[in-house]
Amino acid sequence: MIKKNWQTTLAGIIVIIFGFSLFFFGTDGFTAYTAEKARVNKLMHDRPKFPNVNFEDSKGREYSISEFENKYVFVTFLYTSCTTVCPQLEMNMLQVYKKIPKKYLGKDITFLSISFDPERDTPETLEKYRTYFHSDGETWRMARIPNHKELDTLLKAFGVIVIPDKNGTFAHNSAFYLVNKKGTLVDVLDYKKPDEAAKTVINILKQEEGE
Amino acid sequence: MTQLLVGLFMIIFLALPPVAKIMESVMIIHMHMQMPMLIIAGFLIAKFFQERYPGFFEKWNRNGLPGIMLFIIIVSFWTLPRTMDEALNEAGMEIFKFISLPLLAGIPLRDSWKRLGKIGRNVVIILFTILFFVMGWLYVDAPVQLCNNYLVIDQIILGWGFLTTAICFVIYLGYILFVDPSKYE
Repeated sequence: MIKKNWQTTLAGIIVIIFGFSLFFFGTDGFTAYTAEKARVNKLMHDRPKFPNVNFEDSKGREYSISEFENKYVFVTFLYTSCTTVCPQLEMNMLQVYKKIPKKYLGKDITFLSISFDPERDTPETLEKYRTYFHSDGETWRMARIPNHKELDTLLKAFGVIVIPDKNGTFAHNSAFYLVNKKGTLVDVLDYKKPDEAAKTVINILKQEEGE
Repeated sequence: MTQLLVGLFMIIFLALPPVAKIMESVMIIHMHMQMPMLIIAGFLIAKFFQERYPGFFEKWNRNGLPGIMLFIIIVSFWTLPRTMDEALNEAGMEIFKFISLPLLAGIPLRDSWKRLGKIGRNVVIILFTILFFVMGWLYVDAPVQLCNNYLVIDQIILGWGFLTTAICFVIYLGYILFVDPSKYE
């Protein structure tokens, strides 16, 4: 029969406790089994500041992040040659955009799609791409960050991981990012749930208005 | 002694930055080659510890259960999408991978395997068959990119790696169930 002694029993108990703690701490208390989930949790906790970067938008205008001072900014990251996630991401962004009451647009909140492929996404390309999603280029802007160093700082701060592959495409994680009036990231929203995202944003805007 | 040296050499070789980098650049090689090789290294090293401290294993792992549980826990931990990502992004996790797989999975596996009876061994294999089917299905079928460091296509390849391994387990289990080796001896 099974040979037992107290040491082996104790060892078994220790192993179970160790395994439980390993999984508990390794998944932030059984909440994050993927690095993406852990990343979003961490971002919400850390609330990083939007780094000082310079944009060049689809109209060829150049400005820094201070352009959006005192406005919420609803941000997505994309590249226009993308045929998979980005169009879906932008379509969903359009749905959120449509749901935001007109009075807030451009005044209290600006939508901003940032390209992480500055070589190919010139202002002309972005100007064309913008029309596919009925972006007006003003309250919803599309811009690139020409300086690679600045771009990397931003991607790093917001935990956007971009992997170039052999065919000139990128694999990347996607989400809606909400930056508040002071330039702090306050929320990371699931881009697959535009209705929920719109609700969250409208609530925040209403609260601000009430103050 | 030879086994100890081979095991140690394997760990050092696998930990060489260029070797580790190449292996980790492909998801399936990372999980289905580098990680098992680390376990094998521990398996080889185990003999040294068993000969040196026979009392320890005899006392604390008499029926093999604590050891095999530790093995299962460590291996399952490293099949999570998150731990793979973190091993690539965080030095601490990478070091933990190189320590935990040989010491906490390889060594206990070797010591426990001979202590477990036939039934115990088959239960372990059945458990891993189920785990591998579930993980395979997860990686093949997941609509989203589970690991930030790997492409979806890598993920699907890894999923099929899990599924084919699980199928091999099933074939083995079928073999021991239906074939009586003593007939052929």
